[in-house]
Amino acid sequence: MGDRNSQQRENQIGYVVGGGLKEGLRVRLTVDPQSVQEGGFVVIDTGEWQFYGLITDIQLGATDPRFADEKVEDRLPPAISQLLHGQTLYANLEVLPALMLKSGRPEELPSEDASPIPVKTIPPHHAPVLLASAGNIAEIFGSPNEEGNFVIGKTREQGHPVCINLKKFVQRSSGIFGATGTGKSFLTRIILAGLIDYNKTSLLVFDMHNEYGFDDTASDTGKSVKGLRTLFPGKVRVVELGSRPSQPGRNPDFHLEIAEKDIQPEDIELLTRELNLKETTPTTLHALVTSFGIHAWYRHFKAMKPGTTIEGEDGKRVPAPDSVEAWANEAGVNIMAAVALHDKMRKLFDKPYIVPQPAADSLGEIIRLLKQGMHVMLSFGSFDSDLDYLLVTNLITRRIRREWEEMTNQHRANKKTVPEPRPLTLVVEEAHKLLNREMASQTIFSTIAREMRKYFVTLLIVDQRPSQIYDEVMSQLGTRICGWLGDDSDIQAVLSGLAGRDALRGMLAHLQPTQEVLLLGWGISMPIPVRTLRYDEEFYRNIKGGSKFGDVDQINRELGFDL
Amino acid sequence: MIEIGRLLRGSAAGCVIGCWVSQVTTPQYGGLVRIPVAENYQVYGIIYDIQVEDDGLVRQLLSADVLDDAVITDNRLNRNVPVEISVLFAGYQEDGMIFHLLPPRPPLTLDAMFQCTDHEICTFSSAGNFGYFRHILRASDLPVGELLSSHLRLVDAAQRHQHNPIWIQKAVQELIILLRDDYGLLMSVLAALSDSHLILGEYRG
Repeated sequence: MGDRNSQQRENQIGYVVGGGLKEGLRVRLTVDPQSVQEGGFVVIDTGEWQFYGLITDIQLGATDPRFADEKVEDRLPPAISQLLHGQTLYANLEVLPALMLKSGRPEELPSEDASPIPVKTIPPHHAPVLLASAGNIAEIFGSPNEEGNFVIGKTREQGHPVCINLKKFVQRSSGIFGATGTGKSFLTRIILAGLIDYNKTSLLVFDMHNEYGFDDTASDTGKSVKGLRTLFPGKVRVVELGSRPSQPGRNPDFHLEIAEKDIQPEDIELLTRELNLKETTPTTLHALVTSFGIHAWYRHFKAMKPGTTIEGEDGKRVPAPDSVEAWANEAGVNIMAAVALHDKMRKLFDKPYIVPQPAADSLGEIIRLLKQGMHVMLSFGSFDSDLDYLLVTNLITRRIRREWEEMTNQHRANKKTVPEPRPLTLVVEEAHKLLNREMASQTIFSTIAREMRKYFVTLLIVDQRPSQIYDEVMSQLGTRICGWLGDDSDIQAVLSGLAGRDALRGMLAHLQPTQEVLLLGWGISMPIPVRTLRYDEEFYRNIKGGSKFGDVDQINRELGFDL
Repeated sequence: MIEIGRLLRGSAAGCVIGCWVSQVTTPQYGGLVRIPVAENYQVYGIIYDIQVEDDGLVRQLLSADVLDDAVITDNRLNRNVPVEISVLFAGYQEDGMIFHLLPPRPPLTLDAMFQCTDHEICTFSSAGNFGYFRHILRASDLPVGELLSSHLRLVDAAQRHQHNPIWIQKAVQELIILLRDDYGLLMSVLAALSDSHLILGEYRG
């Protein structure tokens, strides 16, 4: 008890002087205002309850404005002016209370009181306010020593480790946001490494910029960074789009080629913007499917030769039988529309990764690996245009959806003999390209975000423009990890649906441009800004050595457990 | 025990003491005094005024061409009108306990007043939490800044003799707390304290 009291005295930074649940609490600071920061995690101990909150603002005040306006140092001796300032000038904190926990040892409390609950009352006047200890952080965000807790970073002021619960993180779709250059890719690598190490979900990473699988060089430091395949050689497979490696020395485990039979009309409609398709496209595609069947329409259409003619019986030139025009005439489709579509789809016909008969069933192999618990990094190699990305991600994801729905339905029909499907997380970079308001209804991803949790599939979207993502999808994101954002609309999008948005907005805007993120949402007990881990040698050592990055003994001591 | 004089008149809040000029060299403006009233009961006060009234003869002497030193001395020692010392009650001691409250029974006429020793000053000023300051601050017709400055300087000297150098910091801090809602008065008091060259250390309250 004595230790606890002395620790309280050491950590105390002020006492409650006012406020409420809606506007937050006002705390009179008893230490130098420069020793606390916006976003600091504080604990208010009333003896009966511990309240946990975030510092959302720091304000200077004076008992009378004249004390602040006049520089009394020029008129009074230093000692007197110092005493005067001590009693008349002050700093107040605004604290956003988020959670409350019954005081006492967890094992001695009734089970309903042993976990933090959303704040429902407020501490009384003059309740002491303390900077959170590592034990307090562990009480709320989990101990680094517990299964499923992954240290994502440390508190900014005192460097206490902060965990995210990976089980919760993958239970619902999640998002990682941040403006370009804020370290999103490094943060994503760190989280993916954590998920691979945790090994409770398979990952399929649509690696548009070829960043995650292979070793790379950091653009800011010029240092080499390890790819996830290097870190987890037995668990990660790199698959590259196309039939040959795009870069020497980066040999994927296998290549992905798309069979022409797998391309469906909806894959083409999805590319309306990229191919500049007209409103007649769906009718033409429907006619193609009617003529040749769902698996053969693409092959037949590709084989057609627009504009070719032959001499007819009457000596006039007529469309050749293998021409687009001949098929359009026969199918009753507008010839101009069919020719235009064929012309626009030439971009696809020329893609070397779309082949009549792939050398292997690489798409099937990807799905097999994911079912087995492996993690797949799909590198787009040299095919890094939006067209490639949209087509391939949608096509693969549609197949995955079908497979996982089937597995789930089989499991539900016969729970005793058929196991649950292996949970799967699809990691989607540049998510706004697939999940913007216009595209969300056409791609499979919005369906996954809304419904596929029931089928054990969730999304991890990585993006720099969250405001461009359809708000219905944003509202489904359980955990949001957000780096610095410069645009107001992006900040607003990230905070949509969260309590205390106004207070959090300032915190988000004031994050450092790199290595600081705000953790938010359903999967995080309460919002907190953290300084993220560095993806460096120390991280490699820890993740390989199984260390959870925290001084467990210290945390246990602070939690009151005897060692 | 240095007797200063005897009570001429009084009220619940203060009194006036009469004394001879020869006794006037001892009491100081802002000094702490005590008036024993009964066994185990004495009243403490702070000197806030010393008045030397003319006695009629002074006017005649001033109009004389030559004023001999012997005449001046005689006039001072054998005046008909005593020097009047005004005292603001600051508290009392009853059965050994110090109270920073107005005395329940004021002293009576001709009760003797004594200057407090360093020990008595320290005992009185260290009791409680500077409650007697409010009697001084309430006296709006007095030059509060001057009175406090003088009083604190005298008490600080006594406290330092008793090895308590931080008393003065605590006292100034308390004054700031009491006056922080009255900017004008506080700045006037602090200006007076600055002029008294009090030495304040690094105390943090």
